[in-house]
Amino acid sequence: MSANDLPVTLVLNGEQIDTSVPARMHAADFLRHRLGRTGTHVGCEQGACGMCTILVDDRPIKSCLMLAVQLDGTVVRTVESLAAGDQLNALQAAFRRHHALQCGFCTPAFLMLATSLSERKQALSSEAIREEISGILCRCTGYEGIVRAISEHLSQTARDAGGSPETPT
Amino acid sequence: MSETVKSDHAMTPAEEGRRVIGRSCPRKEDERLLRGDGRFVDDVQLAHQLEMAIARCPFPHARVRSIDISRAASVIGVKQILIGADVLGQTEPLSVLRPVPGAPALPYYALAQDIATYEGQPVVSVVATSRAIAEDAVELLEIDYEPLTHVSDTLEALSPQAPVLHPERLSSNLLASNTDRRGDPDTRIASADVVLRERFRINRVTALPMETRGIVAIWRPGAHELTVHASTQVPHLVRKQLAEALRIDESCIRVSASDVGGAFGLKLGIYPEDVLACLHAMALRRPVKWIEDRMEHFRASTHGREATHDFCIAAQRDGRLLAITNTYTTDLGGWNSSFGSAQLSSVVFTGPYRVPDAQVERRVALTNKTPIGAYRGYGQPEVNFALEVLVDRLARKLKIDPLELRRLNMLRPEELPWTTPSGAVYDSGDYPKTLEMAAEAVSYAAHRAAPKVPRADGRLIGIGLASFVERTGYASARFLAKRGSQFGAHESVTLRANRSGGIDLYTGVSSIGQSSETAFSQLCAEVLGVDYDIIRVHAGDTAASPLNTGSFASRTLIAAAGALREAGLAFRLKTLRLGAAILQVAVEDVTLDGTAVHRITAPQSSVPLAQIFRQAITGQGIAADETPGLEATAHFEPPDAAFSFGTAAARVAVDPETGDFSIEKFVMVHDCGVAVNPLIVEGQVRGALVQGFGAALGEELRYDRETGQLLSGSMLDYFVPIAADVPPIELLHTEVPSPVTTFGVRGVGEVGTIPPGAAITNAICDALSGYGVEISQLPVTPESVWRALSKEP
Repeated sequence: MSANDLPVTLVLNGEQIDTSVPARMHAADFLRHRLGRTGTHVGCEQGACGMCTILVDDRPIKSCLMLAVQLDGTVVRTVESLAAGDQLNALQAAFRRHHALQCGFCTPAFLMLATSLSERKQALSSEAIREEISGILCRCTGYEGIVRAISEHLSQTARDAGGSPETPT
Repeated sequence: MSETVKSDHAMTPAEEGRRVIGRSCPRKEDERLLRGDGRFVDDVQLAHQLEMAIARCPFPHARVRSIDISRAASVIGVKQILIGADVLGQTEPLSVLRPVPGAPALPYYALAQDIATYEGQPVVSVVATSRAIAEDAVELLEIDYEPLTHVSDTLEALSPQAPVLHPERLSSNLLASNTDRRGDPDTRIASADVVLRERFRINRVTALPMETRGIVAIWRPGAHELTVHASTQVPHLVRKQLAEALRIDESCIRVSASDVGGAFGLKLGIYPEDVLACLHAMALRRPVKWIEDRMEHFRASTHGREATHDFCIAAQRDGRLLAITNTYTTDLGGWNSSFGSAQLSSVVFTGPYRVPDAQVERRVALTNKTPIGAYRGYGQPEVNFALEVLVDRLARKLKIDPLELRRLNMLRPEELPWTTPSGAVYDSGDYPKTLEMAAEAVSYAAHRAAPKVPRADGRLIGIGLASFVERTGYASARFLAKRGSQFGAHESVTLRANRSGGIDLYTGVSSIGQSSETAFSQLCAEVLGVDYDIIRVHAGDTAASPLNTGSFASRTLIAAAGALREAGLAFRLKTLRLGAAILQVAVEDVTLDGTAVHRITAPQSSVPLAQIFRQAITGQGIAADETPGLEATAHFEPPDAAFSFGTAAARVAVDPETGDFSIEKFVMVHDCGVAVNPLIVEGQVRGALVQGFGAALGEELRYDRETGQLLSGSMLDYFVPIAADVPPIELLHTEVPSPVTTFGVRGVGEVGTIPPGAAITNAICDALSGYGVEISQLPVTPESVWRALSKEP
């Protein structure tokens, strides 16, 4: 631990991590280059593109705008947490079915944002989904597949939770 | 492959029910990407890796008077610093893959020599133990710049008063000009009933892939081996360019592109930083990584589009087109990038219309801005905007309905193949059908019949059409040779059996989001008659793929379809022969179905592919006249380019007070020939349309006139469409198989970028026809509409 390093303790995808990081390292670089979780991507380091979206204490966060030390004491989830063994989870499967990805660079970010939406157990209209995901850019798909996949998945999670399966219009 | 296909039997197409072409198979690429297990270049992390940062010229045009590296070099962790003189001694200038015919080569070195010609040009490179330390050291460099007079405007750059950017090679900023002509347009124009002339300006934009550029270079001096992980569309061309720039043999270089996070033309060929990372790695004997940050990306990665088109269109009173001329100037920026500024405006400048006499002149102008490179469409969106807006203007002038004017002049199916004034051959298609379909889908007739009054919200409704023909692929290697292009028109694949009973498909086409792993597997499964699931694609590694061309110009599938068919048929024939020998029947009596070869008359008598493949690979148990191994490589060049086509229609609502407008519906009717995977086709068209909306409606890299500085050079200043921006899109397809490609495919990757600008502009001008509004400039924004309404410049 060098002079400028600070200790950080967090739970990442269910695993306890105790380490130290340079004070100026942002959370996305920490996840990628210190912890080897390269599924989280970096696109602008300005909080504009949303590529680095992760869940911190269940909230979607642009991790390039956060210092690694700010993760201290948090529970973090990244895209690597989604699949169970060799099985894609239902959200990932919906993305695949609806061709919601092309180059795949933005995909982890949309998956994590959609994961947080699905934990509300509420279906959303396509327009509402478009507003919700507007903090993340995709340059390949034109968003249609992403909106369809999330819409279908939210309806399903709402149904499973016993809520209204109807998609509001 | 020495084997030739002799048996017609082997060419039996997949049986009904086994057809794989035309199915929306799940993508091969998806699982790793969905699990966060893609491997983009910044995911490559090596022991003892160093990182590079670049000092860039902050001025649009400046002389580098002196560079003092002493403070930067003393930073702990800094390993090496290179300046212009170092690269001059050790490297060749970056080569141009697609030169402008007749243009002199400009000596574009990886670091600026005495003079930098654009803001962002690399001047010094620093390698250190981390990117942060390298950036700290860049801050400590003392570079003394003498700012020089700059020129930003494309046309001003060609005036005699403009500073000449490359006086050692050129006497002006005109790099070159090329003219294509048929007939006698000048005489036709002189005698025409109606002649319209207009200047159209197309904005400078950027492809903005979500993954920036990047490279990791590894040098093993003892092995004389340079391994390069790069984010590129063209691994084999990067290998060629690096070998030339670094003065080493291609055999010493391996380029591997694993997953590429979007490219769109921007990742075509090498950039200065690629040469620098390799130079440092070779000197330091340690891996060197460089990942472009987004601020660099806006200045150092090629821009696209910027051009001025001077069009002249002549017609008879009844609407028949007589002649078109188009003199256009593309902005090249400060140097000639690998692909330079767009060239295809010259090919499709007459669009889908019957124009007997026409001339096009392309002029290429150097300016003190970031070099322009290929961007999705490569000149076709630009010229479509100008032509289609002018067609509507002609309709207004002649008082003919724009739909009717298009009907009258549009090439009919029986007139194809049609040779354009610039010599390209439109292969086939039903252009008018797409026009009618678009008009119907947007309720054109009802709109025309309705009274032209504002809606309750005060807005006026307008409908705009834009038809297009798009070149996909290249005419031939011969065509490319005439233009000095440094690549071919072919694509190449290798199929190789493995002992698990699967097929490995090797291609130099890297995965940039275009889904070629999926489409190639579908074609392979179709030709072979094997299960889609047993094919695994290994993409983008020059050490493990036949030497191909690459993924650009909507050409990959067009050429690869032929290569896959040829390799597939050879592979299938040998598999059948080996299987028949095991079953002790004649080859004519067996077929291949999924994962086994079986007797046609007795399907229960079968032998699994795994057994056949193992026998072939070991050579054990095969007939004496068979050679061991089961592998086929094919290179295929299609006989000509395939031309996609279609018509778009936009319905907009415009507020005549403020100029604000919204797109209430956008219809895209498109023909890409036989669709290998309809879901992927839809994704390509939608994605490109949204890029087209961005470029038409707001994206613009603006430069300050006085200072020459980029004003919109970050993601906080340059806005690409977000999900909530996308208007409702209706996609319609026709499917006319192209006669010039295997399986009748046409390219599909770029088409969506073409018609949005013209369709939306025409719709706005239609809505505001009572106000005499004309728009000749992109992007179209509420402000520009308001200015047009107010007659403000």
